[in-house]
Amino acid sequence: MILPARYARFALPGAVLLLAAMAAFSLATGDVRLGPERIWAGLLHRDAMASTVIWQIRLPRMAVGVMVGAALAAAGLIMQAYFRNSLASPDLLGVSTGGAAGAAVAIASGWAAVSLWSLPAAALVGSFAAVGAVIALARRGASTERLLLAGVALNALLGAVTAYILSRYTDLYQRNAQILFWLMGGLEDRMGMHVMIGLPIPLAALALWPLGRPMDLLSLGEQEAQSLGIDVRRLRRRLIAIAAVLTATATAIAGTVGFVGLVVPHILRLLVGPEHRRLVPLALVGGPVFVLGCDLAGRLAGGLRLGIVTALIGGPFFLWLLRRHQ
Amino acid sequence: MATQAPSVNALEIADATVPGRIESVFLRLAPGAIVGLVGPNGSGKSTLLCVAAGLLPATGSVLWRNRPVAALAPLERGRSAAWVPQEARFEFGFTVRSVVAQGRYAHGDDDRGIDEAIAALDLGALASRPVNQISGGERQRVLMARALATAAPLQLWDEPLASLDPRHALEVLLLARRLADAGSTILLSVQDLRVASGLDALALMDSGRLRAFGPPASVLTPEALAEVFGVRVRTAAGLVFELP
Amino acid sequence: MNGLLKQVAAALLAALAGIPLRAEEAPAAPVRVVSQTVGTDEMLLALADPGQIAALSHLARDPDYSAVAVQAGGFPVLQPNGDAESVLKFRPTVVLCSDYSRAELMAQLRRAGVSVVRFDRYTTIDDAYANLRMLAGVLGAEGRAERLIASCQERMVRLGRSLQGVRPARVIAPSVYGVIPGADTTFQDLCDHAGATNLASTLGHLRGHAPPPAEQMLGWPVDQLVLGGTNLQEALAPFLKLSPYEFMDSVKSGRAVLLRPYLLSCVSFHRIDGYEELARALHPEAFP
Repeated sequence: MILPARYARFALPGAVLLLAAMAAFSLATGDVRLGPERIWAGLLHRDAMASTVIWQIRLPRMAVGVMVGAALAAAGLIMQAYFRNSLASPDLLGVSTGGAAGAAVAIASGWAAVSLWSLPAAALVGSFAAVGAVIALARRGASTERLLLAGVALNALLGAVTAYILSRYTDLYQRNAQILFWLMGGLEDRMGMHVMIGLPIPLAALALWPLGRPMDLLSLGEQEAQSLGIDVRRLRRRLIAIAAVLTATATAIAGTVGFVGLVVPHILRLLVGPEHRRLVPLALVGGPVFVLGCDLAGRLAGGLRLGIVTALIGGPFFLWLLRRHQ
Repeated sequence: MATQAPSVNALEIADATVPGRIESVFLRLAPGAIVGLVGPNGSGKSTLLCVAAGLLPATGSVLWRNRPVAALAPLERGRSAAWVPQEARFEFGFTVRSVVAQGRYAHGDDDRGIDEAIAALDLGALASRPVNQISGGERQRVLMARALATAAPLQLWDEPLASLDPRHALEVLLLARRLADAGSTILLSVQDLRVASGLDALALMDSGRLRAFGPPASVLTPEALAEVFGVRVRTAAGLVFELP
Repeated sequence: MNGLLKQVAAALLAALAGIPLRAEEAPAAPVRVVSQTVGTDEMLLALADPGQIAALSHLARDPDYSAVAVQAGGFPVLQPNGDAESVLKFRPTVVLCSDYSRAELMAQLRRAGVSVVRFDRYTTIDDAYANLRMLAGVLGAEGRAERLIASCQERMVRLGRSLQGVRPARVIAPSVYGVIPGADTTFQDLCDHAGATNLASTLGHLRGHAPPPAEQMLGWPVDQLVLGGTNLQEALAPFLKLSPYEFMDSVKSGRAVLLRPYLLSCVSFHRIDGYEELARALHPEAFP
């Protein structure tokens, strides 16, 4: 633990303040130069151009960033408790790869051009089909080892589907470009509809809130947790369902964004320790801080997509983690 | 003591079978006894303890104080029996104290008995240490303290003495004696037959079947020792451990 | 304060529901156009008054892709892959895009009150004329468009006359990217109007940009390769070491014609330059 115990109480308020600051920076950044007075005027609809930029472009982008950060950080936390491994991440069960495959099919087949809702819908269908397949493959009470293996298999299979689509439709350069753009994950062009599609995220977060204490016990052993009074089967089902909803929704509204679910819970655990009653709210606030921060860094660096920045940070972080684990 | 027929058995296992592991095991334990589970490696001791704890599904029935385990709610089960696994693997750095406190989960996360459990297992100096940074024997004691904190009348311990030094092993046995005298029942698996011969009763497992049950002298006969363990026994002067 | 809360709540609900917001009704503003693709850049520069051009696409000044690279120098250009704000900062009233532009970006611009004009068809010269007329309607430059179309049609007639009786040259357009253009591509259209036969479609039966049948291609009777570039040696160089081109007779003997690079992907009326250039290169005897 890096923070002494008595300061750990201030971690959550501190994170909330940091989030507020990030949100303010996010609203203040963009190609259209708006000073603080114009931003305020825009929020209050007193300035036509500013209000369009703020309400139609920057606020949806910020809201989607917050939702995606919270969802992926919380899903990562769940996966790490569920698999009792601090290197676990939300992609283990194929949710994001399934979403990517669904999106690739929608873009390549042209459905995505028919309606703006087709793409997120296809991603959601792909995600849930993937989770369902993993659980069906693992079968029989779904022990963690079997789930992991099924997840690996499905990730490979779905990756092959996406790669096939990319190779098959090379003549339609633009469609391939769109697929690749989506695969990088990012917050550009987010609208009110994406915020609406993301509504399951706060609901799932609410469902997760009371599960912090049971997650403590589960993270130290399934049989031990069962003997201490946890209904392990029910808890695991709930956790998987919540993690699937969180990850699938985040993927549907922002594409595949990696490393948030690995980096954020890990840093938080280093700061305040492994108690999940503290980690769950912190992940729901710290994830957005990380995502908004990466988004800002990408924008300031000249337009790097969110998925690229999180990978640039997450890759080296992962290596450092592996070294530390030895 | 354990061989008389009391009114309510602390643990009653009838015709329990786990394919490939144990077969047709019948076991009855009265309250207030320390019962040892002995047998060669692979004889099904850990499996039997898991079945007794309701953690492994088996054909046949398992009853705690005449109530079927399957019919109990998870929280009720947490209060009724405590299980200590053979090995402790802690992935995350919870403090020793918070792990022991997890034993109170089924009691609504109060803090009764936590400090006593920590003191009883001599963990006072380690209370704030992360559990993934202590030795194997210390981890085993943390598991024991957690089981103690649950205050469950039925205690099921899998090889609790295996990684403990002589002093802590003795303290655990004394602890078990105190619990048994207060009415709890402890079923623990042991490898050291000399320790086993000092317990109230023994259950001898061999290749998944329960071969014998009763006082140590009647179970650890020379024939049983030769057939099941493949060893001969003779009495001689030797080291006897005691606490100062 | 209560009124403020109501305003904010209303705006939040509207944003969620995707209803476009306008603070007040704008009076008829002068036309300011942002162009998102090179094809629309080229049309815009031909038809619009300079004051009507707010910004051009990010490729407008790139001579490898744009027929109007020099002309575009006087106008602002967009960033590649910019978001809605990067377009809105030019305060456009109209945005020109194509069917492969980002749908969500276009939706956001519409919601911001900008008119979005989409060009879906751009494969043939007739599509190019139709697109000119469509753009002219937006700009109020119908007369200019008709004059431009008339002169284009005149050039087409002259070209057709010059190419009468000419034996079509057999060509392919090799590429280092592993795909070559077959039927239904801009290159095919070039060949159709320049007296050339695109072997990729007649012998290779390829549609769109597709990987060529490498082994078969070795046996195709290629009269000329069609390459983009300004220097023949430079343009030919990559193929001298690339399989299967390095084994082809036409590559080894250097039988190639050059087109200015942008002509190979031009979709606007400027493609007529491409027809003429290719025709002249393949059939010099028809243009004394």
